[in-house]
Amino acid sequence: MSKFPPPGFVKTGSAIPNIDVYMPAPVSQDQESEVLDFKCPQCQATTAYSVADGGLKCAHCGYYAPPAKEVVGKGAAEFEFTVETMEAAAYVHGWGTSRRELQCQNCGAHATLPPGRLTHTCPFCGSNRVLQQDAPQQSLRPRFLIAFEVPPETCQSLVQTWLGSNWMTPRALQEMTRVTKFTGIYIPFWTFDALTEADWKAEVGHQETERYYDHHDKEWKTRTVTVWKWESGQVREVFDDVLISGTKHLSAVLLSRLKDYDTEALVPYDAQFLAGFMAQAYDVPLETAWERARTDMREHTRGACRNQASTSQIRNFSMSLDFSDESWRYVLLPAYISTYRYEQQTYQVMVNGQTGTVTGQRPVDWTKVWLAIAAMLAPSALLGLAGVFLLIVALPLGVVALVVALVALVIGGIFAVRTFQKARGMDDV
Amino acid sequence: MSEQVQSETSLSPLRLDAESEWGLALVGMRCPQCDWHYLGPPSASNARCPHCFGADLMPVETLPDHKPYHPAPEILLPFQVPAATANERITDFAKDIPFAPYDLEADTLRARAQRIYLPVWLVDGDVQAVWDAEAGFDYEVVSHRERYADGGGWNTEETRETRIRWEPRAGQLARHYDNIIAPALESHAALQHALGSYPKHDAQAYSPDKMAGILVRLPDRPPQAAWSDAVPAFRSAAAKECRQAASADHIRRFRWQPAYANRNWTLLLLPVYATYYLDDAGEPQAVLVNGCSGQISGKRRASMQRAQRTSLVISVIAALLFALGLCLGVTGLAVPPLIIVGIVVALAAFVAGIVGASIPIIRASRFNKQVSGSPDASN
Repeated sequence: MSKFPPPGFVKTGSAIPNIDVYMPAPVSQDQESEVLDFKCPQCQATTAYSVADGGLKCAHCGYYAPPAKEVVGKGAAEFEFTVETMEAAAYVHGWGTSRRELQCQNCGAHATLPPGRLTHTCPFCGSNRVLQQDAPQQSLRPRFLIAFEVPPETCQSLVQTWLGSNWMTPRALQEMTRVTKFTGIYIPFWTFDALTEADWKAEVGHQETERYYDHHDKEWKTRTVTVWKWESGQVREVFDDVLISGTKHLSAVLLSRLKDYDTEALVPYDAQFLAGFMAQAYDVPLETAWERARTDMREHTRGACRNQASTSQIRNFSMSLDFSDESWRYVLLPAYISTYRYEQQTYQVMVNGQTGTVTGQRPVDWTKVWLAIAAMLAPSALLGLAGVFLLIVALPLGVVALVVALVALVIGGIFAVRTFQKARGMDDV
Repeated sequence: MSEQVQSETSLSPLRLDAESEWGLALVGMRCPQCDWHYLGPPSASNARCPHCFGADLMPVETLPDHKPYHPAPEILLPFQVPAATANERITDFAKDIPFAPYDLEADTLRARAQRIYLPVWLVDGDVQAVWDAEAGFDYEVVSHRERYADGGGWNTEETRETRIRWEPRAGQLARHYDNIIAPALESHAALQHALGSYPKHDAQAYSPDKMAGILVRLPDRPPQAAWSDAVPAFRSAAAKECRQAASADHIRRFRWQPAYANRNWTLLLLPVYATYYLDDAGEPQAVLVNGCSGQISGKRRASMQRAQRTSLVISVIAALLFALGLCLGVTGLAVPPLIIVGIVVALAAFVAGIVGASIPIIRASRFNKQVSGSPDASN
């Protein structure tokens, strides 16, 4: 208490006369203008974030401004589920819902932006702008993001490789398709941390062999019986950065396949990172996303409880689960989106802007799939026919052949079903 | 502590004209045995000392300078427990003590009961300080508890938990604090432990009519010594006000650099019923009753002397019966059936003597062990 008031403190209201109260000065919120234009300070040309250089760059004169903020990774601030936050977050329709009229500062062109859009590139002059969106709470503004690490130029080769990486796609797909236009977009995600502590109990079945007297055959025999015993246990699971998409505009299936983001690369939000890319604000409210995350967490915990049982035969399973240390973040994660056409149909493809993982829709060549399934089942069919023939000429050989045919049928059947499911899965995206 | 105790020098030695300060005729009294000083009505000048109960009080005319201090009290807590209730507590205190000391009787205790006031310093003062602390603000977080049962699916329950957000705060204050309490007696802590707390918010302004017939014990602790105990109370009052000033729900790590001025010392008087009994050794044992809550305190012990005496009587009777049995046995040589009677009487007297004589001692010592181990105020 050598100096008064302490550095960085400002006077605040006091409820008692003759007592002055000082508090730390509030962290200065970016009082930037509502719309930020990115212009080169040297030549006034449009600047954009360069993935290759990791900073703001002018394509015209080569001006480069490195990002000012350091990587914070998993240390990025997390927020609690306070009553105030939950109430504010539920009020998603209170912001960003109306379309916004923008006039380009560069060429004067007018543009209308859909709700939730955080960036805009003028279609006439190419100038990049970032919209500083209002939010009901500071924590509900994007506070952290992962910057693009995959240059847009590499997307084409990644997607071409991916298109040809599955034998179920048409042979001509890789050769005929050229995906050239990739749109870099920051997708809103919620990250959730929590600790789950569960107590469970269940009846667990144990296989035991017992001897019994068969009155019909008048002899002692053995048989396997299931003996049910009560078991119980405790499970503690830690969940770190469970990602739940914050947008309804992109395929949830594709986004779920794109979630191999490494949150160690999180950096504080800076409009510079968004220059030249599209960015979307969340439209899945925090509470909805948290409900999804909780569902995943509790199912995972339930699985861990069941795995703790001494066998997999379980009945009358029950558990109680407590969540604690719950926290969340609102982050923007990078991705490239593109579409391609094949036989008059449009397919969507996405590339993880950090890891380069590709996912998307691919046409399925069902002829190939059915042929493959037929090939999987053919050995059993042939062996079966051979077995029937051999039954006539040599009974023991015929029996052996039929048994082998049955085994082949089971194995082939399993592979066939899995192949069919995989093909349907690809087709349904 | 930049300032000397301002009103220390104004605490004058005891005078016979204390009436001018206290508003009624009082005389100074001193116990020749424990050297404690009292103020009281002239009628009480020969009363038994309510501290040591070892001697009668003697009136005094003058005392050494500055000791004891006797400023007029500012406020006092009136006796809220009526004498009848206090008597009930005393009766309960004396009840159910096996082989109680001969002097420990409810009637005796009640007859000896006196009403006295114990003093506590009250200090008022102005404080100027710079302070810093961590202010705590309550907030609620939403959490969930889930239950699952096969066939029943998930059952989700939303729970709310109150947490504290701690934020640094600093400031300065210029406040006046009234009636900060500090011990006026060296035995304050022991008395507080014995008598429990007093409802200080029930205190009333001092008026002479509340003093009728009551002895007031005078402080034996000067303000200089009591000041070190008052400082934490000032700090605590300031911390509470700073918390309120910051509109916080909690405060911790409160630090300040205070400067005190205009300190003024007065007294708060606390009501006590005091009585005593004489133990085995003839030593007076005090029994005190909190005049507000009725909490009673005193040594509640069985008299080992009385127990031993009882055992001795039983032993003598048993010995006489044993001798009678032997006599009957000898007579049995002439009248054979008396042999058996004599043996039975002798054996019975022997067993009854051993058992009966040990019971009082065992009972008394067990009782004493129990009460010495129990946390109640009866020790």
